[in-house]
Amino acid sequence: MKSNVKILDKLYAAKGISNTIVLFLSLILALIVGGVFFLANGYSPIDAYAAIFIGAFGSFPAFIMTLTQATPLIFSGLAFAVAIRGGMLNVGTEGQLFIGAFAAAIVGAYIKGCPAYIHIPLVLLAAAIAGGLWAALVGFLKVRFGSNEVITTIMLNFVAINLTGYLVNYPLKNPEGMMAQTKPIFDSAKLPRFFSQYQLSAAILLAALTIAVIAFIFYKTPLGYEIEVTGKNKRAAETAGIKIDRVVIITMFISGAIAGLGGAGQVMGINHSFIDGFSPGYGFEGVAVSALVANNPVLTFFSGILFGAIKAGAITVNRIAHIPMDFVFVIQALVVIFVASPKLVGSILNIFKKKGDK
Amino acid sequence: MGSLLDKIDIILISTIRMSVPITLAAVAGVFSARAGIMALGLEGMMLAGAFCAALGSYIAGNVLIGLLAGIIGGVIISLFHGILTIRYKVDHVISGIGLNLLASGITTVLLQTIWGNRGNSPEVNSISPIHIPILGEISPLVCVMILVVILSWIVIFKTTFGLRLRMVGEHPKAASTVGINVNRVKYISVIITGILAGLSGAYLSIDHVNLFVREMTAGRGYIAVVVNILGRYNPVGALGGGLLFGFADSIQLVLSGDNIPGQLIQMIPYIVTLLVLMFAVRYIRPPAGLGKNVED
Repeated sequence: MKSNVKILDKLYAAKGISNTIVLFLSLILALIVGGVFFLANGYSPIDAYAAIFIGAFGSFPAFIMTLTQATPLIFSGLAFAVAIRGGMLNVGTEGQLFIGAFAAAIVGAYIKGCPAYIHIPLVLLAAAIAGGLWAALVGFLKVRFGSNEVITTIMLNFVAINLTGYLVNYPLKNPEGMMAQTKPIFDSAKLPRFFSQYQLSAAILLAALTIAVIAFIFYKTPLGYEIEVTGKNKRAAETAGIKIDRVVIITMFISGAIAGLGGAGQVMGINHSFIDGFSPGYGFEGVAVSALVANNPVLTFFSGILFGAIKAGAITVNRIAHIPMDFVFVIQALVVIFVASPKLVGSILNIFKKKGDK
Repeated sequence: MGSLLDKIDIILISTIRMSVPITLAAVAGVFSARAGIMALGLEGMMLAGAFCAALGSYIAGNVLIGLLAGIIGGVIISLFHGILTIRYKVDHVISGIGLNLLASGITTVLLQTIWGNRGNSPEVNSISPIHIPILGEISPLVCVMILVVILSWIVIFKTTFGLRLRMVGEHPKAASTVGINVNRVKYISVIITGILAGLSGAYLSIDHVNLFVREMTAGRGYIAVVVNILGRYNPVGALGGGLLFGFADSIQLVLSGDNIPGQLIQMIPYIVTLLVLMFAVRYIRPPAGLGKNVED
């Protein structure tokens, strides 16, 4: 395993290729391949994408739905981006999101009698610390045992989902009602909603604020510099006197804390309790959100909204054309693959060029 | 006493049964790793294999066609991994993750378009067990697994192809210098990986049970990557590691009768994997060229 670390170093050092054109083409190619799915369902891709666009931006409620869908994606995209900046592939945002959401639900439902301006920060803090520690464990395993973080994060995802599943089905299950969920959080722990009839909550503002904090850390503090250097070239970082072990663990803590906040946002803004298995894969979707903007933390906000729009549109398409919503995950996976394959995108482009020359 | 013996019997049988998918996938990973390719896409290959096997068995009503379809499903994903990493020099880890996400998305979409159900396929014909003295009723794929382990060991360590394979994985430049067609060896190994991973997935859907369930591989592809390392990139070692994880899986069956919440029991294989990663695989040296893309 140890030399895997070295291999990854070199791979990350060699990357730097993704330019804007490749990113844009990757999205287009993914959407084209996604269009094949619509055709296979006997549905015109153009009609489908038009319906997605209308479902995402066509009306005020549609746009609100886009932002609601985007919120958890921004958090998980940002979490992934921060980790990869530090040279860590955090595919464990899903598990960190579960742990953060659970911590939020507990602090929100069991600490009573404090005003919202104390309770909300307290809940957020609990979620960030819980998600952060869960991820920091991955960093620790990496520096102490050289364990490949892709595998440890995936394993910890299953542990987190099962662990919270156990807690919410047995010791901390809401005794009222049949559903496996925790007691509802107090009103003082709920994030305010913009409109009473829509689920969109202040969580999206929290996402923007988190991005601002991360941008500050990355562009204005020595820690941000250390994370970047460690991510780009571990050996150079070591030579520069950076304690890379410490940086790896801190990077993972920050990444996990962001994922945990994402989970808290769903609990405090939408569900108002922790529901067993509540996430349909928000954590994994972060990989595509981050990939599309070349892991730029600030841009994950817009990338998150874009993928949120596709999801919101997919809900509409599902309703009118019965095309399964999961095609969204196919498009996301294709974005990840294409963004990572600039040479592939380049040669596809050449095919079109040659055709154009004729 | 009787019940204890019964339990030991159950554990023994189910250890062997649960070791099949892990061992097959780990041996699949051995072929990739020995050729210098990190097989992080095993999860996706297994999932595609499981899905295609169920689909093949559903359409043809014949388990052999199901098995074949499963193998094809695994090969499709592994060929993508091969083309992306060999031809387009994509980061092996990202390619693996991307293909796993893709396999997960596509199988979930197809579940709904083909069967109109997001959770699982209808029941399909599954492989019937054969009778073996002492062990009793057991899946023929157990025998296939043992055969695969032995044959893979012979191929990797006792044949010219195996020698070339290992050379490509250790030092692709040197292999190329002595006239070995490095990419050809890599593609062959990638296809073997796909065949075995597809078989492993097929075992899950049309042998262990008789239907496809969404995300039914449940991280076994990633566990197989660890078993591959634990087994020192050796098919026989993979069998040993496979049996260990088969045991971890089979404890679930025994404990599930004792009022222990299922969620806690289901964590066992993942925690065992983490422990193995922490304490057992630290000093195992991978093939020197593993995960590297050679510029040509």
